[in-house]
Amino acid sequence: MISKRKAGATQNLIMFVLFIAPALILFSVFVVAPVFQGAFYSLFNWKGAGPLNRENFAGIENFTRLFADKYFKTALWNNMKVIIFSLIFQLPAAFIFALLIGRGKTRGSVLFRSLYFFPYILTEIIAGVIWKFIYNPQFGLMTQLASFFADTKREIALLADPSTAFNAIFVVLFWKYIGFHMILYIAGLQNVPTELEDAAVIDGANRLQVIRNVIIPSMKGVISISIFLSVTGAFNVFDVVWAMGQGGPVHSTETLVTYLYNFGYKRFAFGYGSAVAIVIFLLCLAFNFLYQKYIVGEEN
Amino acid sequence: MVTKKRYEVIRFILSAIIAFIMFYPILTVLMGGFKEKGQIFSDPFGIPNPPTLQTFGEILGATGTYWTLIFNSVYITGATIAIVIVFAMLASAALSRIRIRGQKALFNFFIMGLLFPLTVAILPLFLQLRSFGLIGSRWGVILTQAAFNLPISIFILTGFFRQIPFELQDACSIDGGTILTFFRKIMIPLSTPVLATVTIIVFVASWNQFMLPLLVLSDTSHFTIPLGVMQYQGQYASGWNQIMAFITLSILPVIIFYFALQRYVIDGLTAGAVKG
Repeated sequence: MISKRKAGATQNLIMFVLFIAPALILFSVFVVAPVFQGAFYSLFNWKGAGPLNRENFAGIENFTRLFADKYFKTALWNNMKVIIFSLIFQLPAAFIFALLIGRGKTRGSVLFRSLYFFPYILTEIIAGVIWKFIYNPQFGLMTQLASFFADTKREIALLADPSTAFNAIFVVLFWKYIGFHMILYIAGLQNVPTELEDAAVIDGANRLQVIRNVIIPSMKGVISISIFLSVTGAFNVFDVVWAMGQGGPVHSTETLVTYLYNFGYKRFAFGYGSAVAIVIFLLCLAFNFLYQKYIVGEEN
Repeated sequence: MVTKKRYEVIRFILSAIIAFIMFYPILTVLMGGFKEKGQIFSDPFGIPNPPTLQTFGEILGATGTYWTLIFNSVYITGATIAIVIVFAMLASAALSRIRIRGQKALFNFFIMGLLFPLTVAILPLFLQLRSFGLIGSRWGVILTQAAFNLPISIFILTGFFRQIPFELQDACSIDGGTILTFFRKIMIPLSTPVLATVTIIVFVASWNQFMLPLLVLSDTSHFTIPLGVMQYQGQYASGWNQIMAFITLSILPVIIFYFALQRYVIDGLTAGAVKG
């Protein structure tokens, strides 16, 4: 009996190893190893070829250079801008969209939902190219609006002006990802107890009071997920920015990841680029940790 | 009662206006390809007048670019999905159905991958792929992308497999079946909906992936749709009607797929996010 059980255990172990090996190998080689290699490379002044030794060891020099670079500061600030603007404009708007079409059986709500959500599945690069057309200075929407309302023939080139380019890109990000947050909120709305809402209405609460005191508190979970995904996503913005100007004009729309590409990969500065990657990773990790600890933790 | 009805009407009108604004950029593209070159400049956002199919004909008729891109995107996305499904299912089965020590630690090891976006690892990955001779190869994209989709897939599948009662597995082994029988006869049929979720997540991530093929693929004959669109709009910088037609043809498969299966697509993508 014992030997039979032992045989069973061995068989289980073999089976386990066979089943897990393909995923484990692929994951270790292509995900885990590069992350650790990156952390190592970031300490060297290295072009991606030749040995890593004492001669090109740079310590934390890459990091100090990084934080002294003005374009890196621009990139960091742009990422912060995405986070702040999303929290102030995008998520509340997504919440309003959800309230509009996510409750009851409003006519057409299924169609509306898929139309609002569609930009989210659209390829980022294609979204960027479409908006480049919309912003076109010669015939684009802005120029047309200006000639319609202000009666000028002036060309409006939002993407060519460093002071407006990034805000113009944010509009695209707003449009692209709002549907996703809306769907999260719609899912959250299903969990709001209707009795509680009815009770509040009977007690004479107006719509705003119901939203503030009944709906939002019962959606805390979904709202905290949405904020979390919005912030971590913002650190990794690349495709849309790339399609609309590759970080230009004059590096004004650089984000952390376009900076990594332009100043790391393009110049074959693998040590310096890896330092950028490590900073992105640590920012995400720090946010993750603080958010879990202070925001999500509070709720439980 | 009257105010309630009026409220519903206002709500409908407001929703319709937002829907119009949200979808109009897409509509502009869908109409743009049917316009003649002159009209795209004089009336970029209006209805095609007269509509022409010539631009589409030119793109579809030309050997090369468009069909090559579609082929590469289907090839890379298809292979990625196949690898992720097979590898993640096997791993999740092991992590949830075979009782063994150290299981939890391994599960957490995979889940840790959710913290590593592709962007963070891209430079060392480039060097890694170069040392494997995979730069310039579609398999460089496929394997990397598959690896980065494993954590979320394993997370979803393991969660689902754990809910299948162990009694079912015991019953199966009492009847003389091995774990493989159990896998084939019970688990795979039961997991169709959750496999659909994983497929949709991997499909969207892979189909839209830009940075990885940008670094890995160098030969235009290997380009995927996002790379191709980027290159095409650089080449035909002033031929916006051509770019619009090209984009229309590129997103048409996705539009059909989306509006046919919208419920599954929307639920699948958000389920993955919420669970992640």
